[in-house]
Amino acid sequence: MQNPYIPIPVKVDKIITEVDTKDIKTFRFTFVNKGDEEKYKYIPGQFGELSIYGKGESPIGIASSPTQKGYVEFTVQKAGVLTTALHEMEEGALMGIRGPLGNSWPLEYLEGKNIVIVGGGFAFTTLRSLINYMIHEDNRKRFGKITIIYGARTPGLLLYKDELAQWAKRSDLNLNVTVDKGDANWKGKEGFVPNVCKEVAPSAENSVVVICGPPVMIRFTLPVFFDLGFSKENIITSLEMRMKCGIGKCGRCNVGSKYVCKDGPVFSLAELDKLTKEY
Amino acid sequence: MEKRLIKKETLAGIAKKMAGDFLVWAPVKKEDNVLFEPLKKDVEPFFAYLNSKNAPKNVFFPHTETMMKYTRTEKGMAFSQDESKADEAVLFGVRPCDAHSFLLLDMLFNQEKYKDDYYVAKRQKTTVISLACAQPPYATCFCTSVDGEPVSADGADILLTDLGSNYLAEFITPKGEKLIKYFGETKADAAAETKKNEIIAKAREAIKSKIPAHEVKPILDNNFEHPFWATIHGKCLACGTCTYLCPTCHCFDISDEVKGSDGVRIRSWDSCMFPLFTKETSGHNPRPSQKERWRQRTMHKFKYYVDNFKAISCVGCGRCVMYCPVNIDIRKIIQDISKL
Repeated sequence: MQNPYIPIPVKVDKIITEVDTKDIKTFRFTFVNKGDEEKYKYIPGQFGELSIYGKGESPIGIASSPTQKGYVEFTVQKAGVLTTALHEMEEGALMGIRGPLGNSWPLEYLEGKNIVIVGGGFAFTTLRSLINYMIHEDNRKRFGKITIIYGARTPGLLLYKDELAQWAKRSDLNLNVTVDKGDANWKGKEGFVPNVCKEVAPSAENSVVVICGPPVMIRFTLPVFFDLGFSKENIITSLEMRMKCGIGKCGRCNVGSKYVCKDGPVFSLAELDKLTKEY
Repeated sequence: MEKRLIKKETLAGIAKKMAGDFLVWAPVKKEDNVLFEPLKKDVEPFFAYLNSKNAPKNVFFPHTETMMKYTRTEKGMAFSQDESKADEAVLFGVRPCDAHSFLLLDMLFNQEKYKDDYYVAKRQKTTVISLACAQPPYATCFCTSVDGEPVSADGADILLTDLGSNYLAEFITPKGEKLIKYFGETKADAAAETKKNEIIAKAREAIKSKIPAHEVKPILDNNFEHPFWATIHGKCLACGTCTYLCPTCHCFDISDEVKGSDGVRIRSWDSCMFPLFTKETSGHNPRPSQKERWRQRTMHKFKYYVDNFKAISCVGCGRCVMYCPVNIDIRKIIQDISKL
């Protein structure tokens, strides 16, 4: 078997600046060696270690869907050493990715159910992967109603604006995009994610919420779903921790006996209830 | 099982003879310490030692090791070499507690799904020769409380037991048997066997320090939040000595170093005692104070490892007890937890 610490070589094929503050970009990687794409078979909700020799590595959720062939995408905020180096890269540069790592959104469990996607700010990336996976023509009929509630502070901070516009035209999903405060051109909703969830009020009947966002958003949104009758088994989220190895060896991302890198990052609230609150 | 008797004074010669054929790690005197080091021609191994100051885990999991090399190209740094390789080696004369630690480290580094090639390669190429503690060396030894024995072949390919004027050499595994030619032709007799059994019983008896290591598991299961956790760390300096010397601590960091056109990705020991260990780029730290770090260290050894691998991740060597600069004693912590 291949040494799991050695990154797979990739080319930075395309860089998309997502937000008007220019500190969040989507990087599209293509595989340098034939056959590596097949090896990098991933499921929405998994992550990879982005690896730049000389700088280090950083664990980032996969933003593309496995239905998008020929490349893999990660949306990255400029924050530390590695992500700053990544933001300075140009198209055509070579680097590496490791993975895919971690568990994933529980696709089998989600099948046949109505799916409510709730995202806040920059944490929308692996949710986008899941949405693109579910609405792909090969998969759409395997899922029930799809409701999306996505919020950002300002219109300029919304990710994937072209895709949001396309999704808005579809009749097989219910898209609700909101911003805390609009600008002169903003014609959409204004308001915080918890309030929009309350307005949209998706039924808990045969439904699962998949939620990612800043802790404060999650804290105020969860009670809304509890009031709507969602059980903790049917609210699913993803954790972030500092990581190095990504394969449960280096010892820093555990929450109790579970390693977020290997046993997570995806947990239901029911599973999180059984873990210690050390994250 | 093959068993041989060798004259006590011949042991150093055997180690040196092996060192002519491959890499031999043996206990060597360094100022007032004993450390496991590659045996060089002009160096005498020192087998009359109590235990080495550092755990010999560095043979399989070095303090710092190169994982891969890379080199500059026009389009950025590119991979040049995987460094997960190992040479034939012998680890000569480790204490049974330390040999026991290798079995515990195997559980983590040699898992079904993700094998750590760096550790596994060294482990597979290295023969472990244990030197039984016929006379347990320290008052701080507590191996018998954590599934160990002062005279034990756990983790060993060959076990040496001091019978007085001879060593009994027992060839436990096929890997150990491959080295039989170095140990002479004198087969061990029944008298040697009887003597060894006496020594086993006496040595076990000599371990006076006891901790309720198994009993605390159900208590730890239910007491993540307990005022007790605020009582350990007050004097802790976060120096990391306990984790550095510990035979079972395995946490590491990965970093990059570039010099000119070439670079290496290296891994180095890290420690759950250090504030930066879990600190995230955002500034958030899930273990914000030394209190949470001590809870992690205790839980990791006596609960999390048991949950994941059904084994306590402590071998009772007592190094953390002996060398903690502020006398934090894991034995007392476990005793106290057992009374919660």
